[in-house]
Amino acid sequence: MNAVDAPAHETKTRSREKTDKPWQVVVLDDPVNLMEYVSRVLIKIFGFSKEKAEELMMAVHQKGRAVVWSGNREKAEMYVNQLHSAQLHATLDKAE
Amino acid sequence: MTVGPTVAGGLKLAPETEHDWMLLIGIAGDSDSDLAGRLAGLMDEDSMWDEIVAPELTEEFSKQRITVVKEVMKAKEEEDDVHIVKSSADVWYGALNQARLALEDQYKFGAREEVDPKMFENPSARAAYFRNNFYCHIQSLLLQYVMID
Repeated sequence: MNAVDAPAHETKTRSREKTDKPWQVVVLDDPVNLMEYVSRVLIKIFGFSKEKAEELMMAVHQKGRAVVWSGNREKAEMYVNQLHSAQLHATLDKAE
Repeated sequence: MTVGPTVAGGLKLAPETEHDWMLLIGIAGDSDSDLAGRLAGLMDEDSMWDEIVAPELTEEFSKQRITVVKEVMKAKEEEDDVHIVKSSADVWYGALNQARLALEDQYKFGAREEVDPKMFENPSARAAYFRNNFYCHIQSLLLQYVMID
């Protein structure tokens, strides 16, 4: 292996790792959206149980953010679109 | 103004003064037409959210505001109360939420327990704060009495 090949191999490896990691749908806290409303939206969009939705809502409220779903980018974007439509603050993150 | 649930499963807003009517018409005025843009700002550039999603959301949010103003104006013209029926509860909730998000963006009220008392020295901020609380109260009633499965 020469000095030129080595970095190229590393780049490919990093790139594959990045691609393989799932995308996370993250809901962010805001001082406007009511807690009950946030739970309802999570139930409606993701089909969570009431208990699960309230647990995630409390995580958003207390920690400022919570990962509510992870998977492929296309579906994650669809979920963020639905969350934005419900006027919740949401974004996408790469899983650690 | 009195606000309360109806036996038909809706909510009735009964304005008593011209100021009450102006308050309801002002829901749309308090809203910020760039909410979709601000939500798009949460996304990375790869998503092209600005070009693809934000325009659709802008239109959706605009329809909510227009519907609420139309319903209020119609009630005012007919000298009737404003009736929020179950089928339009989501639209009303959304329009009120837009107004509250825009007021929060402008005045930074924060959570209720965090409100800085100095803010009340500014008449504009004080008025906005009370409008925000009024909108929030209607939203709570909608959740409690109308938006139920």
